[in-house]
Amino acid sequence: MNLRLTHFLMWLAFIALMFAIPEFVSKGTLRTLIFANFLAIFAISWDVLSGRTGYISFGHPFLIGIGAYTSAILTKRFDVPIELAIPAAVAMTMVGGVVVFLPALRIKGSYFALVTLAFMELMYQLVQVIRPDLTGGTRGMSGVQTLTRGAVNGYYLSVSLMLAVALSMWLLMRTQLGTALSAVGMNEESVRGSGLSVTKLKLFAFLTSAFVAGLGGAFYVHYLGSIAPRALFDINFLFTIIVAALIGGASTIIGPVIGAFFLTFLLEYLRPYLPGAERYFIYGMIALLLYMYEPKGLIAIFSKGWQRLRGGAGSEQSSAS
Amino acid sequence: MSAALRITNLVKRFGGLVATDNLSFDVEDGQSVGLIGPNGAGKTTVFAQIMGEHRQTSGSIELYGREISSDSTPERIRRGVSRTYQVPRPFTDMNVLENIRVGLMPNNIWQMITAKPRYQQETEIALSVGFTETDLQKTPGELAMGDLRKLEMARTIATGTKVMLLDEVFAGLTVAEIAQITVLIQQMRQDGMTFLIVSHDLKALEPLVDKVIAINYGSKIAEGSFNEVLNDEAVRSSYLGAA
Ligand SMILES: Nc1ncnc2c1ncn2[C@@H]1O[C@H](COP(=O)(O)OP(=O)(O)OP(=O)(O)O)[C@@H](O)[C@H]1O
Ligand SMILES: [Mg+2]
Repeated sequence: MNLRLTHFLMWLAFIALMFAIPEFVSKGTLRTLIFANFLAIFAISWDVLSGRTGYISFGHPFLIGIGAYTSAILTKRFDVPIELAIPAAVAMTMVGGVVVFLPALRIKGSYFALVTLAFMELMYQLVQVIRPDLTGGTRGMSGVQTLTRGAVNGYYLSVSLMLAVALSMWLLMRTQLGTALSAVGMNEESVRGSGLSVTKLKLFAFLTSAFVAGLGGAFYVHYLGSIAPRALFDINFLFTIIVAALIGGASTIIGPVIGAFFLTFLLEYLRPYLPGAERYFIYGMIALLLYMYEPKGLIAIFSKGWQRLRGGAGSEQSSAS
Repeated sequence: MSAALRITNLVKRFGGLVATDNLSFDVEDGQSVGLIGPNGAGKTTVFAQIMGEHRQTSGSIELYGREISSDSTPERIRRGVSRTYQVPRPFTDMNVLENIRVGLMPNNIWQMITAKPRYQQETEIALSVGFTETDLQKTPGELAMGDLRKLEMARTIATGTKVMLLDEVFAGLTVAEIAQITVLIQQMRQDGMTFLIVSHDLKALEPLVDKVIAINYGSKIAEGSFNEVLNDEAVRSSYLGAA
């Protein structure tokens, strides 16, 4: 069988499996999977920006927050229909993406990361003081309209959204644009020296990343039906996103997805043993060890194992014949 | 007929240091000019100003009769000038073809998404600078210094430039590689390319240039044919002084 067909069938099997999952697992596991799907969307969003261009964003909860708050406020306080509120939220998040982009015109590396972290903190403070009648202040909002009822439907919605985002980002990054964005991450001067506008490429990466973050944030709030600012603008949430992308395999689309599922289940299975914040410490250690062992992430470990398996099967066949 | 590249009264100061000192010269269309001078004479700094990587303190830079001093680097490249670097600057996680691909890309997001890579042209450029078929999938980490210089040239050719600025393209190359690059430059000259070539390897430079400009401490000390400039008293003492 040729390789392309094998790949295609594997993807088909994977997608079929994803859709069949609710038949086999408990409601609790399903809720964990829903979180994993959203985390995968956020990790893809982070990776499109930071994994590609090398501008490490510590501000992704800021973007996700804009998407979530905009849609929640529009639907709950102004009775805007949800199908208008979500696009509006995505548009607002893209405006937020431009705001995060501005410092990237001048600063790089850890300074950029710190500035974006400040955006997240600022947003946390702002929602508490400015118009708490709209944002719900420290306590956040509840009773936000939901799109689906029950874990099964929530799962189908989240998995569809995740696959749609993953597929479209994968297609986009396979084009020459993906090559150009990776080039920005490797050497900005040489990109400029190749006649390409680095500013334009960076702006596109920020807007695309914000688009996905806003979409994910808006859908997430309409799945949960509530917003808790303490959990959203939280350093643990931020690091979960980044670590998912990194240990899964940055600059690939499947990597952040694998990383998101791995982390979500790791955190979930650690929960009975470590109910508190120690859990994050353990998962941090595991992530660090994994990252040291294979900086290209789980995706590299899997594909090496897969190659060994194929290699092994191949030699068995040849010795049998 | 205006020059392909005209530098007029160019001055560049780095604090107290004058790296380019009231420098003027022309490169005619289709001409190949050597730019020589001892270490630290300011050759690379001239390139950096032509490309807009450093803004000059004063003076003008014209490309085909048009002032380009206020253009960004990508804009200048689109107007037809491009350079290589003394220290190669490839995209480290990309293979040879992908490195060339970035140079060939249109500076337009929509076209980047919709247009397919021009594999054939990438391969042609790679082979023309002397890569073999087996090199095409190699990443810069797997290449020797000579190959990195070839890649540097290939990336510059890919931008579709009319005026090529070559900074020490022969450094670290074997005799065979120098011969190959020489043939390539000769070929491109016949096809009408304009060159400004910086090289410490004067023997390699000699057959490639119509005229030579020698600079020291950022200012021009001689201009003329290769032999005239090499026999110039000021040029000889500048090289001796630096050694
Ligand atoms: N960014 C900079 N800041 C300060 N001084 C600089 C800078 N770039 C170059 N210089 C100085 O300008 C002078 C000219 O440097 P340049 O690199 O242009 O010389 P060069 O002729 O290319 O030398 P080489 O043959 O060694 O490559 C040197 O004294 C150098 O130290
Ligand atoms: Mg130099």
